[in-house]
Amino acid sequence: MSRLHRRGPAELHANLTPMIDVTFLLIVFFVLVSQIVEVENVDMSLPELADPRTELPGDEQRAVINVVPAADGSAREYKLGATVLPATEGGRRQLTDELASLLRRNPSMRINLRADQRTHYEWVQPVLQAVSTAAGNAGDVGARPRINLVVVRDE
Amino acid sequence: MSDDPRSVEQDANGDTVIEHRTARQRRGRARPRIALNLTAMIDVTFLLLVYFMVATEFKLGEEVYRLDLPDRRAAQAARDPFELDEEPLRIQIATLGRQGYRLRIDGPYPQPETFDDLHEFLRSRRIADEVPGGLFEPSHPIIIEPTRTTRWQHAMETFNAAARARFTNVTLGRAG
Repeated sequence: MSRLHRRGPAELHANLTPMIDVTFLLIVFFVLVSQIVEVENVDMSLPELADPRTELPGDEQRAVINVVPAADGSAREYKLGATVLPATEGGRRQLTDELASLLRRNPSMRINLRADQRTHYEWVQPVLQAVSTAAGNAGDVGARPRINLVVVRDE
Repeated sequence: MSDDPRSVEQDANGDTVIEHRTARQRRGRARPRIALNLTAMIDVTFLLLVYFMVATEFKLGEEVYRLDLPDRRAAQAARDPFELDEEPLRIQIATLGRQGYRLRIDGPYPQPETFDDLHEFLRSRRIADEVPGGLFEPSHPIIIEPTRTTRWQHAMETFNAAARARFTNVTLGRAG
């Protein structure tokens, strides 16, 4: 019996290069995005509102203040971007200074305020006060205290 | 060396065997073939990809209330000395226990029990074409005054009741 073409006429190879390229791009994307989300958004239960008259966040430049919650309804600390500030009078003064510095560089910047739904108002109100004071301290650059109160829609 | 990629040989049984050879094989079978085994790297890469896809949580549900706090310097500069202050409508909110709350509106108004009651009260008192007998302009100042221990959820629900009634000048006051 003839055993023609025993080893086959050609070698078959799957070219894996594009798949590896895309996979690495996806990994880099997820690594970067997860870090950005972690820096900006502390894990907390935001206020849930039924039928809110809210807007989606715009494209304007923003800074994010997180009121990091403690179990008893107080604030453990404040986070302005990646900067951690103690939830004390000194920390709030520092927060005001940092915000004033940001607003001096970018007067139209909006401040996103994220606070847990169980946090007591006495820990949130000083942040509103700090933003208002910081806009006043930012000098004559026309900074206005613009705050976004972050909530989630109760579906 | 022949250009024909096939080699025609006879095997032990006398059958004809035609063997295809690659160009490299034709140059010499002695040279080892160098290949990079990518299997392990692809395995790890896919594991990483699956991990990040599962672990990443996007905050797509977040929405914002735009709250422009008063610009005190501008307000003082533009102040007309003969202008009468518009008395703001003050709404107090206190958290009771774990989930309960108490609302109170300053003035001789029916007191709301729930946030829906508050919304209905504000909606019915706003001056608008479709609401006869309205009391307050949509730009009438409303100040929400949570107590020190009011939960942020309840403060925001009060704010939302006023915003849903289409009042545009709603602010959060000092902790009472």
